[in-house]
Amino acid sequence: MSERKLRLADRLRIQLAVERVDWVLDGRVPMARRRQIRNELRSNLIDAAQRVGAKEAIRQLGDLQTLAVSYLELYRGRFDFQTGAAAAVIVYAALQIVGIALILAFHAGVEATGVHAGTYSLQFWSGFGPYNFSVSADGRQFSMLLLSPAHLLLMAVAFAIGSSLRLVFTRRQH
Amino acid sequence: MADNGAHDSQMLKGVLSLALLRLLAERESYGYELVTRLHDLGLTEIQDGSVYPALGRLERDGHVTSRLVASSSGAARKYYRPSRSGYTELAHSEHAWQGLVRALEPILSTPVPAKPKEAL
Repeated sequence: MSERKLRLADRLRIQLAVERVDWVLDGRVPMARRRQIRNELRSNLIDAAQRVGAKEAIRQLGDLQTLAVSYLELYRGRFDFQTGAAAAVIVYAALQIVGIALILAFHAGVEATGVHAGTYSLQFWSGFGPYNFSVSADGRQFSMLLLSPAHLLLMAVAFAIGSSLRLVFTRRQH
Repeated sequence: MADNGAHDSQMLKGVLSLALLRLLAERESYGYELVTRLHDLGLTEIQDGSVYPALGRLERDGHVTSRLVASSSGAARKYYRPSRSGYTELAHSEHAWQGLVRALEPILSTPVPAKPKEAL
């Protein structure tokens, strides 16, 4: 069978397929192994694409998610940093929601006692804050803290727990 | 020789490692080349995406060794060949497969009756 010359679009298509597989492995499979998987998959896809075209070569791989999971089952590392990062983001979002709720509650309290224009500073717990809260004459303004040492600490704990959850469950199963 | 009949994909998965080891024992090959060799044998249901992780599994278990060889396409190809443990595994799997075929032979060699005999 004659070999096709690959166009830029074909190479991009192949690279995208490789990245889709790699994304599932990111943070879960050791870096050196991921590089090997990427290189081998790209090399095989290029060979296949030269025979049957890039689209067909990718189709012959089957479901890319299934392929990625097969690699994951083979080479999964001890920690899952992807799940850890997701846990940290969820904790951060939860802390911000709690922060907004507390500021709104404080704001309502300020309004209930009559608006006094000025800047208030809140610290809910040691390390959480200060949440700066400025009240304008119409009582409608506040500013919010995006990060504090306590945020970072809780996110780090969430990251550590999320990353090692699988380790705990695997140990329990044995 | 190619056989155009459809094969059960679950059955094929079960014997994929055996087939790969056997083909590699005949000739050192890289991933996509093995796929084409399997397809040329008529095993067209086997997807590329099941061969590559199967090769990874064989390598992880120490049944094959690999080496990178530069290719004209640009990306280096990873060629596999059976290791000593691979040959042992191949002999074991071939023996198990032939045993299974022998065990099933008496059942499959008789024609299927129109309906099963009554128990009593």
